[in-house]
Amino acid sequence: MTLLLLLPALALAAAVFLWPLLRYGWLSLQAHSVLTALVPVPNGGANWQRLLADARFWQDVAQTLRFAGLSVGLELLLGLSLALLLHRPLPRRGLVRAVVLLPWALPTTVMALGWRWILNDPFGPLNGLLRSLGLPAYGFLSEPRSTWLFTVLADVWKTTPFVALLLLAGLQAIPAELEEALRLEGANAWQRLQRLTLPLLGPYLLLAALFRLAQALGVFDLIQVLTGGGPASSTESLALYAYLNAMRFLDFGYAATVMLGMFALVLGLSALVLVGQAMRRRWAAAGLTP
Amino acid sequence: MSRTPLPLLLAALGWSLLPLLWQLLTSLRTAEALVLQGAGAWLQGWTLDNYRLVLQGDPPFWRYLLNSSLVGAASTGLTLLLAIPAAYGLQRQRPALRGALSLALLAAAMFPYVLLFLALLELARALGWGNQLLALALPYAGLSLPLAVLLLRAAFADLPEELEDAARLEGLNLWQRLRRVLLPLLAPAIASTAILVFLFSWNEYPIALTWISRADLLTLPVAMARIAGSSVYAVPYGAFAAATVLGALPLLALVLVFQRQIVSGLTQGAVKG
Repeated sequence: MTLLLLLPALALAAAVFLWPLLRYGWLSLQAHSVLTALVPVPNGGANWQRLLADARFWQDVAQTLRFAGLSVGLELLLGLSLALLLHRPLPRRGLVRAVVLLPWALPTTVMALGWRWILNDPFGPLNGLLRSLGLPAYGFLSEPRSTWLFTVLADVWKTTPFVALLLLAGLQAIPAELEEALRLEGANAWQRLQRLTLPLLGPYLLLAALFRLAQALGVFDLIQVLTGGGPASSTESLALYAYLNAMRFLDFGYAATVMLGMFALVLGLSALVLVGQAMRRRWAAAGLTP
Repeated sequence: MSRTPLPLLLAALGWSLLPLLWQLLTSLRTAEALVLQGAGAWLQGWTLDNYRLVLQGDPPFWRYLLNSSLVGAASTGLTLLLAIPAAYGLQRQRPALRGALSLALLAAAMFPYVLLFLALLELARALGWGNQLLALALPYAGLSLPLAVLLLRAAFADLPEELEDAARLEGLNLWQRLRRVLLPLLAPAIASTAILVFLFSWNEYPIALTWISRADLLTLPVAMARIAGSSVYAVPYGAFAAATVLGALPLLALVLVFQRQIVSGLTQGAVKG
């Protein structure tokens, strides 16, 4: 009976989450593009063969991985620092939290446009700063080797508050008496962090890492507005490549294949994180703390 | 516990605010001032023209804000309408089923939803929902439901079961129990969920980008991307910056007013989701 109350929500969620994946599974086995006059024609796995041999796809896999790896790593590090900072008694707590939250709440495209100006060569404020230090202007968004680092900067700026708040919830769940007891034993701040805070924060760190990893692997809005995937495709992400295949090259069969490839990547990496965590816990239980 | 060291706190606040202040500053300067930026140029070159340009555009900028607000309100309403009964139903299931469903919902909440846009676009085309602003509420509600149900389920779990038993003995039916007894107690959790769903809908990009093409129906994020891609607003970026400031202001107001609900929504999700 109470199951009926669940049905409308589950039906809509399934239509939005499950239907597309089933549809992509079918589409990825069809030639469905301008060449077939936008009519699906079964092509026996040719899309998948093409995916395996597609240098641009694999380049985007690598670029998406380095973006996600560095972004999530920095966000966890900075988010943890920010959470530790916010966990102490604060003046004007509400206002401080609102200011810290602000980057996360803004639409990604709004601040991607903002960062495009900040990183502008030669007029942007960052180059103004370099100039006032007597340094030459730098093409933050036009150097194929380094531009991805600035997409990471914009992403870290935007999503660190989210990580910080998740971890803050974890910090607040740690009883203050435990920390006090360690302090009385003479443990310094670093030792308390290592022996008490980090182990108890484990589940929260894991949740934040999984959530952010999935989102960062799907990065789209930021890249499309900040760099458009350039210069020389050096910041193109998998999601952007899938989008281009669908909306610019009008190759729906291959776009669906790229998306499934991306889905497999997200699934595989999430599983890897979970297995790694489980093994670490088993080692720890066996007294083999790595 | 010691107080937060002030310099670190200021650094954290500056990290959040500086990029925005730069936008504000840029939006108030003339193109010449932005190009020259000589050390002595600070006294001149201030202007409101950038805002005039953006607000008098066709369509005017407030139109995008209105569109985003409408979609946000419709999505939030629809999500709550579906999520509240679902959360109640989920909490009343046997633990095994409840656990399995919660796990599936958590996985869906984490899913990088940008992957879904192509199939959703096909659906929109088949159903004639392209360029229907309020039709966006359907995918937005669908995408928000997993998190919303998890948050509200956790809130239902916090209510003592005796409360509902007592109301049942009084002869109240399910609808009366929900409306008169349970929902008033759930108001804080509902507010948190609502603001998170509203923020998601307000900020959503890939689906709005592909469903809406008419200029006067664009939501704010898509309009910003279009402005970024157009040559109407030439470099330097005075008008861009004015647009980012105008686009950020409503969110600034929301965050200032609702920071408590946002924080508790995010943290409840972490603690109990």
